[in-house]
Amino acid sequence: MGFDYSSLFAFILFGLTIGVVYGIVALGISLIYSGLDIVHFAHGEIYMFGAFFGLVFSNQWGLPYPVAFVLAMLCAAVLGMIIERVFYRRLTKGGGGYTVAGMGMIICGFGMSIVLMNIAFLIWGAGAEPFHVDLGMPFQIGDITLPKSYALTAVFAVTLMTVLHYFLKRTKIGLAIRAVAANKDIAYLMGINVPLMISLIFGLACGLAAGAGVLIGPMQSVQVEMGYLMLMKAFAAAVVGGFGSLPGAIAGGILVGITENLGAAYISPNHKDIYAFLLLILVLMFKPSGLFGVVARVKA
Amino acid sequence: MLKVSGLTTGYGKIQILRGIDLEVPKGEIVALLGGNGTGKSTLLKALSGLLPVWDGTIEFNGQPIHGLPPHTIVRAGLTQVTQGKDSYPAMTVEENLKLGAYTRSDKAGIADDLDRVYEYFPRLLERRKQLSATLSGGEVQMLVIGRGLMASPKLLMLDEPSAALAPKIVMEIFSIINRIRKSGISILVVEQNVRMALLLAGYGYIIRDGVILIEGKARDMINDPDVKNSFLGGTVANTSRDIKA
Repeated sequence: MGFDYSSLFAFILFGLTIGVVYGIVALGISLIYSGLDIVHFAHGEIYMFGAFFGLVFSNQWGLPYPVAFVLAMLCAAVLGMIIERVFYRRLTKGGGGYTVAGMGMIICGFGMSIVLMNIAFLIWGAGAEPFHVDLGMPFQIGDITLPKSYALTAVFAVTLMTVLHYFLKRTKIGLAIRAVAANKDIAYLMGINVPLMISLIFGLACGLAAGAGVLIGPMQSVQVEMGYLMLMKAFAAAVVGGFGSLPGAIAGGILVGITENLGAAYISPNHKDIYAFLLLILVLMFKPSGLFGVVARVKA
Repeated sequence: MLKVSGLTTGYGKIQILRGIDLEVPKGEIVALLGGNGTGKSTLLKALSGLLPVWDGTIEFNGQPIHGLPPHTIVRAGLTQVTQGKDSYPAMTVEENLKLGAYTRSDKAGIADDLDRVYEYFPRLLERRKQLSATLSGGEVQMLVIGRGLMASPKLLMLDEPSAALAPKIVMEIFSIINRIRKSGISILVVEQNVRMALLLAGYGYIIRDGVILIEGKARDMINDPDVKNSFLGGTVANTSRDIKA
């Protein structure tokens, strides 16, 4: 009996797929952190809302999955922009990060998370809703059986990241978003409408979280409390990759995904959810700025 | 072109500027001089809209601009160039320059201005694909001035363009600033390097403790014995208090 390489490969492949999704949520958390100077603790609930939006559009309205995916992202983006405008804007005006207002912001985020969860509970109830996407038979790669939802996730995630990369690197608005994320005062002096860009950043981040929700939906199921664990994983991914670094968020997500899948396979499947945090603790012990963080940025 | 009257502002409850009157005529270089912590940068922030104006007025091209958000002020043609350390280090030289033209949509005009900036500062052309984090202090200063020009401003406000640079580089940058003025852009330059700034400017203001202490034609100021003693010869630290006496 030799070592089963093909199942190792399968675990890594599954970890990679799920990790890319963590990475997408982490990307949003990172974007919000750079753009608004806050850590957004209600981001998991936006992800949950996104999953429900996708479920409604695809299973109840019968829209094709890709359409539901895009529509859910748009709806969550609008929801996020409303939340930012109505609730967070007042607090971020006083400054984020380590200021008193920044502390208030963190508490406001937790509050928002509870409010959103309860709204979702009132609308959709507490049960786990299955998210049906008829994709046909799983792929067969050598000895490995890969469910189509995983393949689909990989395709959507890569497309999403390519579009995002192009948007941030090649378009004028993308350039402005990067400028606002790096330094708001200078961005103002470039003639950039900074509050508008902050709204866009928030909407973009929420849209990404919703996209992740629609991707995870068919693999697991959709329920009101799904956001909490995702927030923790994505947060771990963002820290592992280096908070504020966008490529780091994706890399961190992939690392977290692979670690927890390998841990579940070779150590103990009952403790699947702790491996992400073990990785987080290790990274914080040995490289607190994250694996891809260039410098530890202290935001004030 | 720019007319400031009775301007007061500060941070939180702490007042920094206590009634500033200042004017920049069209096509001129005006120098605002003073040591650390005298309110020079605070004034620039108030002019750019980054700090709220408590009292007084700012008129630009005959229009009041106090109270407008910063991005609107940039669109009106008043552009502030911060110190060199405020480039975007994680962006390339060319991205920084393009960001300067953010408010514009005339592609041909932007391309012309980009060429002009590269003509002023050929070293930026050589390094256009490099991250601005890799530039030397002088090059970053050139970059932020170039970035300011990309906005196609009517008035350019420069915050200490000579700060922490070698004299040779300062000479180079100041001669470019003069060429920028000749191209028709008015300039307000904030400086600690009093002698250099007075050689460059047509008119000068000396600010201290949030008020204008001395003003006059740069030519006269450079020969003024008070200015000479306080700012050009001896130490700046403890002498200027006696200027008015």
